[in-house]
Formats: sequence, C-alpha cells, structure tokens
Amino acid sequence: MPKFIVHFVHFHTDFRRAELEALSRLEGVAVECDEQTGGDDSPFLVVEVASAEAAARLVRRGILVRSIAEYWGSGATYDEVFAEVRRRPERWAEHAQRSFRFTVEAFGRTLTQAEKVAVIESFSFLGLEGPIRMHGAETEFLVCEEHGDPPVRNGPKRVWFGRVVGRGSRHLIDRFDVKKRRYLGNTTMDAELSLIMANQALARPGALVYDPFVGTGSFLLTCAHFGAHTVGSDIDGRQIRGTAGFRRGVDGLQANLAQYQLAGRVVGTAVFDICHHPWRPGPLFDAIVTDPPYGVRAGAKRLGRREGSAPRPGRSPDCYPPTVPYEMSDVIRDLLDFATDKLVVGGRLVYWLPTVADEYEPADVPQHPALRLVANSEQPFGGWSRRLITMEKTAQAAGSAADSAAPAHRNFRDRYFAGFERKDPTY
Amino acid sequence: MRLITHNMLKCHVKNCSDPDKQFPLRFKGTAGAEEVKLEQIEAERNDEFLVRMLPRLEWGALAITAGELNIPLPDKVPSDPAADDGFLQALHTAILEMHVLEGTMFCNGCGHEYKITKGIPNMLLGEHEI
Repeated sequence: MPKFIVHFVHFHTDFRRAELEALSRLEGVAVECDEQTGGDDSPFLVVEVASAEAAARLVRRGILVRSIAEYWGSGATYDEVFAEVRRRPERWAEHAQRSFRFTVEAFGRTLTQAEKVAVIESFSFLGLEGPIRMHGAETEFLVCEEHGDPPVRNGPKRVWFGRVVGRGSRHLIDRFDVKKRRYLGNTTMDAELSLIMANQALARPGALVYDPFVGTGSFLLTCAHFGAHTVGSDIDGRQIRGTAGFRRGVDGLQANLAQYQLAGRVVGTAVFDICHHPWRPGPLFDAIVTDPPYGVRAGAKRLGRREGSAPRPGRSPDCYPPTVPYEMSDVIRDLLDFATDKLVVGGRLVYWLPTVADEYEPADVPQHPALRLVANSEQPFGGWSRRLITMEKTAQAAGSAADSAAPAHRNFRDRYFAGFERKDPTY
Repeated sequence: MRLITHNMLKCHVKNCSDPDKQFPLRFKGTAGAEEVKLEQIEAERNDEFLVRMLPRLEWGALAITAGELNIPLPDKVPSDPAADDGFLQALHTAILEMHVLEGTMFCNGCGHEYKITKGIPNMLLGEHEI
C-alpha cells in the first residue's frame, strides 16, 4: 500500500494514536502504522493506506491531525531526501503543469523566510512549470524539518517531504470555542477535547449518543455536529435551563442549539439522577459520552439524605429532593454498570477518569467483563491527571464492575484538596 | 420533549414495578386542551437514524402516546421501512418534530406525576420514592 505522512499537532500527544484508530473505524479505512515513527516526541507518523482518496477520508474529521501527505521522501539530510525523491521521477510528471505551492515548516525551531525560500529553490529539480498559487493550488508540497522535542543540536534530526492530500478538522476548535458560545458554565469542557471525545465515541449519522452528566451540553453539540442524534440528562436542571451559573437569562442549552443550528439533532434533555434513572430496560444508545463530576468544581451529588437529618416539615411538592455527596469511585462503577445495560453491542463508553499521578497503575482503570478497553489517554496536570477512557461493549451480559481494591481515583476530592500528599509517608 | 425520548422513559418510583403499567407514561388531558402544549418544529430527516431506531422503539407504547396526543402515526411498521418514504416521513414527524413543551405525565401504576416545563421533563423523585 502507498505510504503517507500523518502530520499531527504536538499537543495532547497521548490522544493522537487513539484518535487515529477511531477515525480508521469511523471511515472504514484500514491503516498500517510504521511503529518506528510517531513516538510521543514526534508529530510525524508514517502510515500505509490504500489510496490518496482513502487517506484524505481517514483524517477529515481529525482534531489532532493537521494534514496527511503522500510520502515522497525523508532523511537525515536534504541530500538523502532529494535522492529518494529522484528515484521516482514518474511521480513528478503528473504535477509538472499544475498550479502548486510549497509549505515549509520546522518542528522544534523557527525558519527564517530566507531559509524557507532556499529550501523551496532546492527542489527546483522537480521541474514544476505550473503557476505558483498560495491559495487554491492544485498541488501542495510539504517540507518539514524535524528538530525534535527537545530540539537537537545541529539538527534537523530528519527532513520529511510529501504531497498534501488531506487535512484534519482543526478549524472546528475555533467554531466550538467556548468563549464564543452563548451559554456556558464553569464545568464546560474545552472545544478541542469535546471534539476528540466525539471521535472516540464514533459519533456519526444514524447514532444515538447520551450524556448522563450533561451540564451545559458540550458533548451534545460536538457529537451532533458529526451527525449523531444526542440526548442528555443531569441531576441539576438549572444547568440545562440556564438558571444558574454565570450566563443566566440566555435560555441555557437552547441558546447554543440555536447558535450552532443543531436543535434538529439534539433530541432532548431531562432532569434526573443517573443513580435513579427512568430509562426503560435494554440497550438504547450507540455511545455514552460524559465528564463525570469529580466533586472538585461541581460537587458530585446523588439523591438521598444524610444520616440523622430529618425532612423539613411542610415542604412544597416542587421542592428539590435532598442530595448526598457521590463518591467518585462509586460514580465510575455505576457508570460502567449503566453502560453495560444501555449500550448496544459495539457501542462505546467515553469518559474522563481523574487519577493521582504518582499512584496511578493501569489496574486503576475500572474493568468490566462486557466492556473492552479501547483507549486510555492521559492529560497531565502535575499532581494529578485525567484520563480519557474509551471502552467498547463486546457482549450483552449481566455482571458488575469489578471493584479494584483501592483505585487511585478513590476519595479523589479529598486528595485534591489535600494537595495529593501521600497517604503512606514510608512509601 | 420529543416522542422518541418519551418512548424510552418509564416510571422509576421505588416499588412501582409492574412493567405493563410503568411504561408508557400517560399524559394528563389531551392535546389542544389546556394541559398539554404541543409544537411542531421542522427538523432534517435522517433515514439511517430512523431505520436504526426502529428496533429500539416500543411501537405499541408509541401508538398509545401518539393517540393520546392526536399525533398521526402509521398503524404498523412496514416490512421494508427503509424503502417506504411515506412511513419514514410520518415516523420522523411523530418522534422527532413534535415537541411537548408543557404538560404532565403520570404513571399508570402508582400515579406519580412528572412535569414537563419548557420541553424538559423533570424526572426527579422525592426521597420517599427512591
């Protein structure tokens, strides 16, 4: 199969391969990755894909993909690149008369304009006779010097050269920028991660996606953008209605649906506690996408009453029922059990799991016999991390989440506010 | 609230467990009367979604609800729904374009009431019901 260079952003590095795998599933494009390339310190991954058309389809929804280029050559020096490109002169002919442009970039340092021009000139042996067009060129070449992360001395480490055949969807980050949304809250997920989650969930036309901790509804928007129908629920209806938080009076989630013209696919929201949910039995959803409350910014609550407290006499029937704190590890266990019951086979659960960085072990990720772990991507924050967990339902089976002995997310809220001091000083 | 959502919700009060009565939730009053405020909002039709949702819908319950709210719904699902444009359009209108903006649902078993305000059903329970 022909080779291509996937040019990633160098950010959220732990999420890039996971997203590419999800894109491969979504678009039905088989991908063979060259494992010698594309480590955590490099934004370039060499892949084999059936055709340029398939390569373009593969990355078109990619949030962490800048572009994909047909591989023409690479090497530690420009001379090695030229030598490789010269071995396939039949490839040049097709582009000889077309309008073209060169994009010259460096990873790990900045090139001056003069250096870029010199690089372009050095490719004059290609004999391109078409006009140069900075916008709308028929053929775009990409030259990228990789100096490394951290940059090496006397670089570059490697020079990549190819013909751009497709681009990702980075522009959506600006479109869904939370600062531009009419309605948001203090727990609204940033646009880039919300979009990545929609890809991990395989949100697509024909699918029904559910968020049980919907809050201000970020995931309803991004999943619906990719064609899925979405529903959400929350124990706190004020978040949905927009009667709490710092942008009141804009009609809550409805204001965002109007802004993004997604009201047709955001099927609806309801107010209830996921611990006592009214969904009827059996599989209903193709994906569950959610950011469960950690109890740090949004206090995690479930319906209930603290021991020893008595109901106030004469409360009105519209009064909100009492709530009790909902411990993080209980939230996750309940979420897995819920997903096992409510997902169709092949459906995906995508959620954030906070972990204490120093104590994290892979075994901390909750397991379930009917759910297969597909991806586990870490976003580090110093003392703690959150991990985007993607699981896929493999079978219609009963059973409960196996409770690991003391996962690193247990009592997460208390640990967070204690500054993640070690429980055991001798450790 | 659209009928597709309504078709997935049941009464979940503790000790209300008769599956024939807790689902579907019934509407107080009838459409056109004061109790239920309905609105049709046009939405783009997606045939793939409709066909994929069909096996997940409880058709009998949907027919009861549509009847209560005077929303037209075909009598039964045709043998090849994907090829039946008239059926898909009617289904699309019924489950995705009709919105219950205001109303009260109640359980046929225990009688618990769930209010719909501005299209959002409040399914929270009191502490004696969980």
